[in-house]
Amino acid sequence: MIYEFIHKGETKAVELKDNRSATFPGTDKPVQIEIMPGGRLFHRNGDATREIFAVVDGAKTYVDIDGLLFEFATPTQDVSGPGGAAGHMADPSKVFAPMPGKVVKLMVKEGDKVAPKQHLVIVEAMKMENIIVAHGAGTVKKVNFTEGQQCDTETPIIELEPAE
Amino acid sequence: MGERINMPKLFDKVLVANRGEIAVRVIRACRTLGIKTVTIYSTADRYAAHTLMGDEAYEIGPPPPLESYLCIEKIIDVAKRSGAQAIHPGYGFLSENPAFSQACRDNGIVFIGPSPEAIKLMGNKVESRVKMAGAGVPLIPGMKAAGNHIDEFAKVASEAGYPVLIKAAAGGGGKGMRVVQKPEELQTAVEGARREAKSAFGDDTVYLEKYIINPRHIEFQVLADQHGTAVHLFERECSIQRRHQKIVEETPSTAVTPELRKQMGEAAVAVVKAANYVNAGTVEFLLDPTGKFYFLEMNTRLQVEHPITELVVGVDLAAEQIRIASGFPMSEPFRNASQRGHAIECRIYAEDAGNNFMPSIGKILLYREPTGPGVRVDSGIMQGSEVGIDYDPILAKLIVWGENRDHARARMIRALQEYKILGIRHSIKYLAEIVAHPKFASGETYTDFIPRNFADWNDGAELHLEAALAAAALVNANGKGGAGGSGQNAEHISYNPWLTSGAWRIGEAQ
Repeated sequence: MIYEFIHKGETKAVELKDNRSATFPGTDKPVQIEIMPGGRLFHRNGDATREIFAVVDGAKTYVDIDGLLFEFATPTQDVSGPGGAAGHMADPSKVFAPMPGKVVKLMVKEGDKVAPKQHLVIVEAMKMENIIVAHGAGTVKKVNFTEGQQCDTETPIIELEPAE
Repeated sequence: MGERINMPKLFDKVLVANRGEIAVRVIRACRTLGIKTVTIYSTADRYAAHTLMGDEAYEIGPPPPLESYLCIEKIIDVAKRSGAQAIHPGYGFLSENPAFSQACRDNGIVFIGPSPEAIKLMGNKVESRVKMAGAGVPLIPGMKAAGNHIDEFAKVASEAGYPVLIKAAAGGGGKGMRVVQKPEELQTAVEGARREAKSAFGDDTVYLEKYIINPRHIEFQVLADQHGTAVHLFERECSIQRRHQKIVEETPSTAVTPELRKQMGEAAVAVVKAANYVNAGTVEFLLDPTGKFYFLEMNTRLQVEHPITELVVGVDLAAEQIRIASGFPMSEPFRNASQRGHAIECRIYAEDAGNNFMPSIGKILLYREPTGPGVRVDSGIMQGSEVGIDYDPILAKLIVWGENRDHARARMIRALQEYKILGIRHSIKYLAEIVAHPKFASGETYTDFIPRNFADWNDGAELHLEAALAAAALVNANGKGGAGGSGQNAEHISYNPWLTSGAWRIGEAQ
């Protein structure tokens, strides 16, 4: 499965072979990371094993490796974020902001066909830009906000007509 | 001990007029002495560590300090309502405000600190200079009184020799301060300093002194009781500064010889006596590269960096402040103090050291303190704490003790490596590199250390970017089970009974 993160404005992709470990064989020093039951992460480097600290908070993921700090923004694939009610997830045709904020960029308009994971809209909240992506394929039926408008978590930013 | 005096008695209840790590520090001192504590908090601090630790906690207003932590009437009112007999001001906020010390006195509450008169004297840089000159304390060559006409400035400047420094009488924090390299720049600098001093302090009084090049910042901890005993508890070197703010402090200083220590210590005690000072304070000096020292100012409060003195002398300064304010004579370990080993403190700020020390706000999502031999953490935060925009961005202080300087440095680096805070940017990695730097190791610690050695610092995080991405993917893949995708949090919540159990007292049935 491929995961996308935004780091210092750039989108970075990482593929996980399974949900327990990740490797990067392409570099000089292959990186091997494992997650243990209970969620603790470990970095294996030769004979050394070191704990990595990582926390997910809404659309952000924070990581500490050897004292180096990383802050990744997660393109929102899941509308059941902290601001969204559980019912939001049940209806994939409605795209909500993960938290109240400002619509800074709309990447689609009514009538556009969208593919899964396509970037739909950028919402700025807490001085951070959050990219909201399509959950599945479909056609944009309605856009409820314009660029520069404040959005909440109650009104969907975009309504989709799912494919099929 | 033949005289009959009223035996002093410790307070039953003390109000802590502060927040963050220093409020926690004072509460701990009170608990150790068996004294009940009253804490105050703004609405932003309803669940802060200091709020939760007090025996009683009172909300005193909205987050802006002027409406809460700086509001003298509200704090005095809480002290009266709660029956607190004394107030400890911590540092910052009202700690050096003579009106607060005066308000305590007027309301029959003991201010744990010096008299309003002593605070006022030391708050005025020109008046305190004159007083200290009379007591034989070495001063930076310069004006003995505030300057009026530009000719006076020019005359003193040419006597002292350029470069010179223009300073505000009411000064502090670099405001109303100008370095003047040559005579042609003098008039503009004096006028600029006056304008800045007027807008910062409401007082445009400025004076001139010689500018000391490449100094070290050396300060002496002092303590005086109400019975005429005054001592110094040796030096702290605080030369490692960014934006005029200390970030690493140590004691002893590598630059202070036993002979110099004796001279500076005697000067520090002379300052205390000349000011009729009671309780804890700090006398700051500049030490030039030739070994000459000059009185800079006196801070009339407990300093941020007091723990390094506590570790090397083996005492509890905050507790002794309370005992002295209760009327006890100074206790033995202070009257016959000696230095043992070496201590270093690093201040952990919520800031981005790789981006011009930009303050960072947010929620502490993961918090793990270092432990082990020789390590002390004075912190005001917990997992879940919100770091907001309203207050000083200091999160915690990490203090280590070692048998000697190298041992202490190694322990500090080890402890910084163990310290984990996620959710905001912080300076832990930066501090570890300072303490590990060859120039720090060799004791070349002057006030220009940061601009000279760390001007273009970055954390080198790219090195581990791939591993970090993999970790981020793994935690997202596995942590989604909990509420809002933050199920991972629960795994790292540490249980700390000392922070969560509230207050209790030894020997008291609850």
